[in-house]
Amino acid sequence: MLRLTEIIGTASEPHIAERLHSLSHRGAVEYVTLRREDTSRKRLHVFTDRGTEGAIILDRSEQLANGSVLLLEEQRAVVVRLEEAPWLALEPRDAAAALELGYFCGNMHWKVRFVGEYLHISLQGPRADYLERLSHLIADGRVSVVGNE
Amino acid sequence: MNSIVPGTLAPRTKTGTTSAARVGVGGPVGSGKTALLEQLIPRFIARGTNLAVITNDIATKEDAERVRRSGLIAPERVAAVETGACPHSAIREDPTLNMQAADDLEAKFPGLELILIESGGDNLASSFSLDLVDYWLFVIDVAGGDDIPRKRGFGVLTCDLLVINKTDLAPYVKTDLPRMVREANEVRGGRPVLLTNCAAGEGVDAIVEHLAREVLFDR
Repeated sequence: MLRLTEIIGTASEPHIAERLHSLSHRGAVEYVTLRREDTSRKRLHVFTDRGTEGAIILDRSEQLANGSVLLLEEQRAVVVRLEEAPWLALEPRDAAAALELGYFCGNMHWKVRFVGEYLHISLQGPRADYLERLSHLIADGRVSVVGNE
Repeated sequence: MNSIVPGTLAPRTKTGTTSAARVGVGGPVGSGKTALLEQLIPRFIARGTNLAVITNDIATKEDAERVRRSGLIAPERVAAVETGACPHSAIREDPTLNMQAADDLEAKFPGLELILIESGGDNLASSFSLDLVDYWLFVIDVAGGDDIPRKRGFGVLTCDLLVINKTDLAPYVKTDLPRMVREANEVRGGRPVLLTNCAAGEGVDAIVEHLAREVLFDR
């Protein structure tokens, strides 16, 4: 198991980007795909896109991010890639519906963002599960589904 | 067994500080979280894992005292957090008290490899902040009803490992255990589910092996 115990830098740093570019020509850059919420973890059992089994073991002060470089050697590099969660976009019918929708999402501890008159919910599971939970608001038209990204 | 057998030192990072794995144990009231702790502690100590424990209670140190008196682990390695509010507040919304307790244990016991953090008993929607833990278990039990998994509680759905405890009671509480396990696997999309009878220690070895593989990486 490959032990990855530090964040060397980010893939966008010029001196690192240059080395990654060179390694990529030899097919020697491996990617670990993480969900955004998993970047808070300091220990992760992972597999790279090439199937290499790895153990991420970081100090509590370290923070994983998109592009974090966990290994940078002559023959191989390992880089973190974030898998963006899809969003469910909802449109409340009026202010009262918006209040109720906001309260309900908070009560469910869902992660949301506000986009103009829409509320977006970060889907951490099947979309159908969220629609089921919201069915009492959707059924009578207080909230409409706009779609998801 | 009342002494700690230090294992190998946890890996050190470029900052030179030791980083112990932090594992949460959550679940409803009475599902067997403390009983599971009492089964996990001697097994981790026996395998040489340098271990400490944090328990959470609403207004007392009941669970901490239970673990300290158990003789399974040196009492000073058991820290108590009084949440003073809904238990999930201290493990999710604002886990500062638990993070501080974990930091204190790491400072007090250099080389610590694993901190088990037991939540106070809560409901099916409770969950751990990943700012606090690296991995978390959610413990339910057959006596709570075989419909619990299909109720799709947030904790059941999102935990890293779902533990169904008190399997020995299934015949006495008319729980269809195979159905409960099947539905747990369905709602969790194939993420791990393990069965235990913590009263007798059945199934606990598999949890130790699972945690060793997923967060300790030491074997």
